[in-house]
Amino acid sequence: MFRKDRLGGTLEELKRIAGEDNVFTGEADILAYSYDAGSARARPDAVVRVDAAEKVAPLVRLLHGAGVPFLPRLAGTNLSGGTIPLKGGVILNLSPLNKIRSIDTAAGVAVVEPGVVNLKLQEELARAGFFYPPDPASQRVCTIGGNIGENAGGPLCLKYGVTADNVLGLTVVTPQGETLEISTQDAGPDLPGLFIGSEGTLGIAIYARLKILPLPKHIMTAVCSFPSVDDAMKAVAATIAAGIVPRALEAMDRVSLDAAGGGGLKLSDRTEAVLIIELDGNSRRDLDREMAEIRSFAAAAGSLDFREAADNAAREALWAARKGAYPALARLAPNVMVEDGAVPRPRLPQAAAEVRRILADYKLTAGLLFHAGDGNLHPNVIYDERDLEETRRVRKAGHEILRACIDLGGTISGEHGVGVEKRLAMNWLYDRAELDLFSRVKEALDPKDLANPDKIVPVSDRHARRKDAAPAARSSALSALVSELKYRAAHGIKSRVKGLGTRLSSPEGEAAGRDLDVSGLRSVLEIYDDNLTATFEAGIPLRTLRSELKSGGLEAPMPKLDGTLGGLIATKAWPGIRDLLLGLELALPDGTVCRLGGKSVKNVAGYDLTRLLCGSLGAYGVILSATIRLCPAGKAPRFHHTEPRAAGFVPSDVHRRLKRAFDPDNLLNPWIYG
Amino acid sequence: MSKYDVNEMYDRHAEGELHLPSLLTHLGERSLYDAVSQCSRCGYCETVCPTYMLTGREPISARGRNQLTRMIMEGKAGGAGAAAESLDTCLLCGACSEACFAKVPTADIVLEGRRSALGPAPRLIPALLSRLMLERPGLFGFLLKLGALARRAGLPRLAGKLGLFRLLGLGPLEKAEREAPAMPLTFLSEKLAADPELEAGAGDEPRAWAYFAPCGPNYLFTGVGEATVALLKRFLGKGVFFHNSCCGLLAYNYGDIRHARDFARRNIEKYEALRERLGDVKIVGDCSSCTAFMKTYEQLFTAEPEWRPRAAAFAAAVRDALEAVPPSAMTHASKEALAEAGRITYHDSCRACHGQGIRKEPREALRTLAGKRFTELPESDWCCGGAGAYSFTQPEMSDRILRRKTANIASVRADTVAVGGTSCLLQINAGLKRDYPSAKAVHYAQLAEKLTRPPAK
Repeated sequence: MFRKDRLGGTLEELKRIAGEDNVFTGEADILAYSYDAGSARARPDAVVRVDAAEKVAPLVRLLHGAGVPFLPRLAGTNLSGGTIPLKGGVILNLSPLNKIRSIDTAAGVAVVEPGVVNLKLQEELARAGFFYPPDPASQRVCTIGGNIGENAGGPLCLKYGVTADNVLGLTVVTPQGETLEISTQDAGPDLPGLFIGSEGTLGIAIYARLKILPLPKHIMTAVCSFPSVDDAMKAVAATIAAGIVPRALEAMDRVSLDAAGGGGLKLSDRTEAVLIIELDGNSRRDLDREMAEIRSFAAAAGSLDFREAADNAAREALWAARKGAYPALARLAPNVMVEDGAVPRPRLPQAAAEVRRILADYKLTAGLLFHAGDGNLHPNVIYDERDLEETRRVRKAGHEILRACIDLGGTISGEHGVGVEKRLAMNWLYDRAELDLFSRVKEALDPKDLANPDKIVPVSDRHARRKDAAPAARSSALSALVSELKYRAAHGIKSRVKGLGTRLSSPEGEAAGRDLDVSGLRSVLEIYDDNLTATFEAGIPLRTLRSELKSGGLEAPMPKLDGTLGGLIATKAWPGIRDLLLGLELALPDGTVCRLGGKSVKNVAGYDLTRLLCGSLGAYGVILSATIRLCPAGKAPRFHHTEPRAAGFVPSDVHRRLKRAFDPDNLLNPWIYG
Repeated sequence: MSKYDVNEMYDRHAEGELHLPSLLTHLGERSLYDAVSQCSRCGYCETVCPTYMLTGREPISARGRNQLTRMIMEGKAGGAGAAAESLDTCLLCGACSEACFAKVPTADIVLEGRRSALGPAPRLIPALLSRLMLERPGLFGFLLKLGALARRAGLPRLAGKLGLFRLLGLGPLEKAEREAPAMPLTFLSEKLAADPELEAGAGDEPRAWAYFAPCGPNYLFTGVGEATVALLKRFLGKGVFFHNSCCGLLAYNYGDIRHARDFARRNIEKYEALRERLGDVKIVGDCSSCTAFMKTYEQLFTAEPEWRPRAAAFAAAVRDALEAVPPSAMTHASKEALAEAGRITYHDSCRACHGQGIRKEPREALRTLAGKRFTELPESDWCCGGAGAYSFTQPEMSDRILRRKTANIASVRADTVAVGGTSCLLQINAGLKRDYPSAKAVHYAQLAEKLTRPPAK
């Protein structure tokens, strides 16, 4: 545990770097940085206001040298206790770093400091006719830095992806105080994917290069009411199955609607669920056609009412009910716990029913809001945190809701992060193998455990086991591979991971190690057509993958490449794979199998090692299977991709450290880190 | 309060006399503890809180102020002194409450926090001033005039040197001594008392309005009050002068809340007498801080069953000069007056927009009267830093806020800035004189009166 007296001499140094007026240790400052929008509490020992991005690195170097815990903080609006200094130490208040450095519409890039408020950026971009897709509900106050820390989503992410899909590169100060430039275009393991959503535990972003897009010419909005959540979800499923990707597909239940006073919509008394559908695009005719299709899907699903709005004022009116729900709930009680779970989309009605049952069991009132398109649900539970008994019920209900999401094949956090408040739930989602891997990744980048310590990964109770069978039992090929890995690890035998041999070139002879052939892992594990996801074993040739999907009327939105799925991921031969990949099964060199990610588009439970493994070149682990996003056949965009010649990958220091977390004895594809 | 864990400081609030016994919030009547606990820490207020926006420091944000007050009440903050900076730096502008989903009344909470932190003994000079006004209005007026005389006698620095202004607590006066219009030797109330049109005897016809002279127009900007009265006469017909006391805001914000209640009682009694004689008159004041405060008189008396309904009736009759004359009545502006005003913009005085929700009316009127000469001011509802005695108690912060205001005014190249509060008038003009001297601030009533004045025959 960090002790206050250790700050003593450091204080003067902090003042020297940050400026005399920027270091605060008074009681009011300590108290004011002991809370955030969640319910956890802990006191920092000092708060440093950082007024220039260049000061972050020297400050972190100083704190690292002195062994003082620290964490970055911006608007402090996160809902999982992510900015609570559990071990005390220093809060680096980055909110003064709020400059938009550049907006380059030709290149489609905006460069911003972390303290830029999301909505402010949108307003600036709108002047140039552009936008930045991630639009969390709190965008009026939350910052880009916070969005990066949490890998924030929002309604638009259904069509445009979450923060990790929209950040091109970062300047990151590591926990040791080094400054790194990382980009999704870099060769090797995808470092932005790892840093985004790491909640300040792996480093601090001081600049972000964001992908910006031209504003669509047309936006059309419709509101539709249903007699049940189930019916509403039928309309959603039909829409998605038809290959229509709305820019927003939001749902709310009766309680939320009533809280918002119906939002002035005057819907049928039988309304139990409301869907808000918003389309965007540059062709008005296409939108009209799609909207007409959606209208017929809704009617087929039993809609009670369907209203369209074409102009802005009417759109705002339709959104009033959805946007007014949270504020209305916030008026009903002092506190609102916004739970955040995600399930595969087809399971949403079940999840909603489960949540309702749990809330009834615990005698709690909550409005249910869903990002219906991506299976993300937010029960908004109202309570008074001063009522300790009620608060305990809220916590317990929250835990049960998360367990229910896990049981339905989902995850414990779609976009709010784990922080400290969902640390416990990580035990239910992951096996010990994955949690240990997360810890090793953290240790690799922050060996002194100073950067926002004790977050994300459970600090104790790592004994929970998942109920389902170990994957090794799935097939004889898999169990043979796993036992081979165990044998080789025990004897220090190095392996060359080999699929179809399409891309990875390796030196001949001893240096390359013994071949480890994964081409036997070629089964289709699941094609989940309602969810538009599929899970394949990694050795499946992409050609086979395509034909398997085609026969089911599906398609993977990627260029037509050769080789195996695992090979594509490991070499990042088409960089877009990082955005299609939802989950991975990975064998570590010692034969331990880790299951990472899942089947939902939104998933911020733990470090995003799924993305990190893109470009890992087989040197971090053996990819056993992968879950990817699909689209209906014929709905994929056209790709003009020419596969780049494999660029020489020179591992950076960070890559090497991570290598040690995954493969400390350099057993896999050893020449890469040789 | 068995359910909750609060310390003895909370219980003191229940005693009421030195505090607000309860707050009348958007969500209903609440104890201070319930009102402050309604803050769910979502942070939305931080996007509008001027002191947070300038410093980025949580303790001097609205959320920070609410949380610290709550922690003090719960005995978690060591002592009340811990929150002194946090509470003292609050502008009481109310922007936070408007941004807040639950409309947490931060300004009232901060004031209660200050009262708890400071106890009943007034610490600030404005409190003394307020007491002087209550107990010795004659002496107060005499002292003000002494200052004005010293200045007129060519001894402009003397008054400052004597610390007279400082004694009087009108900090901006000292700063604005060289900048403000010459202080009048005749107060507005004296002038209006001499206007026979503003008197009405028993048995007279009903009157539509009673002009309430807030301290700013009364002691400093008599022209504002005269303009308001002229405007009311022109568009609303006959009215009377209220012969009011101070509204009590100074005591409420800086001094002893019991004094605020005394002022309020006097005004309520006067109103009741007027109503008796003249029917349902509207009480029109031309300083938004005062009118906003008078609209909340009921909150002062929640523990006094006799006074509470009377205060509520008074509050319901109050109108701000910004809203008193319907914009639709003012249709035509004189060319000369328009030319003189140049490019017009409108600054939302905090207690008009955040305190009373007045935004539309003055804009509509100015847009009708000035057409394209009217232009919107960026961040128009951002405080100017005047905020009553704030520029005196927090000169540095006040000035940083002011600079942002004058920069915004310069950005639209305005010549005339219409405002609704007299504290804004003083503050913005001081800032403009330094930063952008081609523009000047005027009270909305003055501008509207000038624009709609019929040509002299």
